[in-house]
Amino acid sequence: MNLRRVLALAAKEWREVLRDRIYFALTFLLPVILMLVLGYGMTHDVENVPLAVVDYDHSASSREYAQHFTGSRYFAYQGTMRDVREVERAMLDGRLRVAIIIPEQFHQRLTAGRPTEVQVLLDGTFTIAVRTIRGYVGAIHADAAGELATNALARKLGVPPDRARVVVQPLNIETRYLYNEEAKGVWTIAPLLVMFILTWTTPLLLGLGVVREKETGSIYNLYASTVTRAEFLVGKLIPTISMSFLNGMLLWCLAAWYFGAPFRGSFPVFALGTLLFVTASCGIGLVISLVTRTQQAALMLSVILGMLVASEYSGMSTPISELPPVNAAIAHVLPAMYYTAIVEGSFLKGAGLTELGGNLAVLAVQSALILCFGPLLLHKRTRT
Amino acid sequence: MRARLRLALREIAVGGRQLTALTLKEFRQLLRDRVLLSFIVYLFSANILLAGGSQTHDLSRAPIVVHDADHSAASRELIYRFRTPYFRFAGEVASAREGMARLERGDAMLFLEIPEHFDQVLQRGAEPASVQLLIDTSKATRGYLAASYSAQILAILNQEWVEARLGRIGGGSSGASQPTLEARPRIWFNPEVNEPWFYTISELLTMLTVACVLLPASAMVREKERGTIEQLLVSPLTPFQVIFPKVLAMVAVMLAGTALAFFGILQPVFHVPVRGSLGLFFAMTALYAFTNAGLGLLAATFARNAAQVGMLLLLITMPVVVLSGTWTPMESLPPLLRTIMLLSPLRHFVEIAYGILLRGAGLDTLWDSALAMALLGTGLLALGSWRFRRQFQ
Repeated sequence: MNLRRVLALAAKEWREVLRDRIYFALTFLLPVILMLVLGYGMTHDVENVPLAVVDYDHSASSREYAQHFTGSRYFAYQGTMRDVREVERAMLDGRLRVAIIIPEQFHQRLTAGRPTEVQVLLDGTFTIAVRTIRGYVGAIHADAAGELATNALARKLGVPPDRARVVVQPLNIETRYLYNEEAKGVWTIAPLLVMFILTWTTPLLLGLGVVREKETGSIYNLYASTVTRAEFLVGKLIPTISMSFLNGMLLWCLAAWYFGAPFRGSFPVFALGTLLFVTASCGIGLVISLVTRTQQAALMLSVILGMLVASEYSGMSTPISELPPVNAAIAHVLPAMYYTAIVEGSFLKGAGLTELGGNLAVLAVQSALILCFGPLLLHKRTRT
Repeated sequence: MRARLRLALREIAVGGRQLTALTLKEFRQLLRDRVLLSFIVYLFSANILLAGGSQTHDLSRAPIVVHDADHSAASRELIYRFRTPYFRFAGEVASAREGMARLERGDAMLFLEIPEHFDQVLQRGAEPASVQLLIDTSKATRGYLAASYSAQILAILNQEWVEARLGRIGGGSSGASQPTLEARPRIWFNPEVNEPWFYTISELLTMLTVACVLLPASAMVREKERGTIEQLLVSPLTPFQVIFPKVLAMVAVMLAGTALAFFGILQPVFHVPVRGSLGLFFAMTALYAFTNAGLGLLAATFARNAAQVGMLLLLITMPVVVLSGTWTPMESLPPLLRTIMLLSPLRHFVEIAYGILLRGAGLDTLWDSALAMALLGTGLLALGSWRFRRQFQ
């Protein structure tokens, strides 16, 4: 490996990128803009859920019960509806996700101490949200029912409500949230987005870099020159890795400062992890540049493969341990899940070298493999 | 008069032949790019198969560790309630410190701490007996679900204990002395919360979006890069005739892809229901492909080479795919973003696709989304043709 030739190639690569202004701007603007948009959009906080009430009873108790729902910040109250038919129409149109149906004689039955049932209708189309919404409904209902029961019992026994509450709810649970103290979606998602965006921008940059030469024919210069395959590869890798690493740091700033996700771990570990991850991700880019001949195909492949890996084989949405065995095996081969552990550990959990060393080691091995076997994937003679 | 009519008819015939020839050319170009073609087939088959099986957002067997300082019948009863399908008992620890360490290492998600004299306090009934539950919420949604399932466990346990106690005090008439109010949740359209139904449709829509925008845009830019666009421009073709065949070819390919995904994967493997009209679904898919092709061609007029158009389209399609209602519900977006997303064709198509397939809605409820999509498509295509023409003057 001749250092001067490598540097000359890297410098040429840089110049090519710098001269294409749109391409250059997008290389750095794209990740930042996506981070901002996705940071707002992907928080799985389920809020402002459209809710309606059908009150067949029209009593003081039914109004008190309904108020617990309509006043909640999780729901956006859409007003009362006349009957279930109206609810059905609104749900069919996607305007409504939850409806609370309070039956006739609600007040009478409750004061008489007879068991009463309230019906809750949920739109099940959007499965991610439906469980969370069911959780909200359960919690608010428990609150409302507890209060109604406490008041009824206090009236009946003639004791103060505090005393009655102990009778109704003898067991009390204090729940404390760890790491993400307010269960804020953006604290979870912003660090993960660093991983998500780097996972597919890195192969994209490398893939386009190699295939561009193939498509314009300038790769014939390489075929005819004394530059070795390894030198050519390193000359391509240096600019790609440095651009992606820079992007990673930029995204880190956004996650930590703009979105305010707490960074509790060690920065050197995180930076090293990012560098290794970016290098390992170039492997995917290399494979893509190998199988494609046009920039169009390289682009499609890297975006779609990258997004697939980033969203489904990284442990971002579903923990790897809960994936089906085949998917879990695929995830273990790819670098994304190790970097996810590093990102999550360094941000929320405050993990350092001792906890994350294993993940760093795997990424290092993957990077070394790319550097050793990468040149073998390139060919100095076109296959006919 | 008749001569003029004949001339007009001939012009239409020639125009039609030109359109057919160019559309066939687009098909031939696509069919010859083997890599791209096999990739499209992969997108609409194996990819959707994998997506349907891979994601679950429910809590399943979340490991819980317990520090039980009381060791009474009541504490054991409480621990026993944290069980499958949502929770999994992952052992007892000797101290609170050890419990925290287990959470930190990530091999437990919840830590339940039961204090001494828990049973006594409970029996006396003078004050509520308290236990502490620590939850790892580094994944916010799962953390929230764990909290809400625990609260449900607690509510049921409370009710049982109250009934038992009141039964003792009141002498026999258990339950009747205390009003019970129950909430019966009923989930419409997908009662068992079958997640593959949601994910396979969402994946299909995502793939349609990405492919429909990227393919025509890069086909157009490639003609620019190679210079073949000059050949088309000196030929007796209008800009519309240059652009429209690309749209037509794309719509046809996307319909074929959707049919493959639908009859090959969605129905036989995941049993996704079709509660509305299948014909309407495919018609709407064609309209959607048309709208997106307009978007891609418009973007292509801003770029000079494939790399540029790729970056530009990513900038457009990524937010569209993520923020249009399949990744996160529309109502969770900030109001400004929600308004901006009215410009996203996918946002309307999500309503239509889920409406037809899962909710069984017809055009009478979905007409507004369909109209919005058609307007967007026409507008984008018109803007694209205008810019395309201007570019070469």
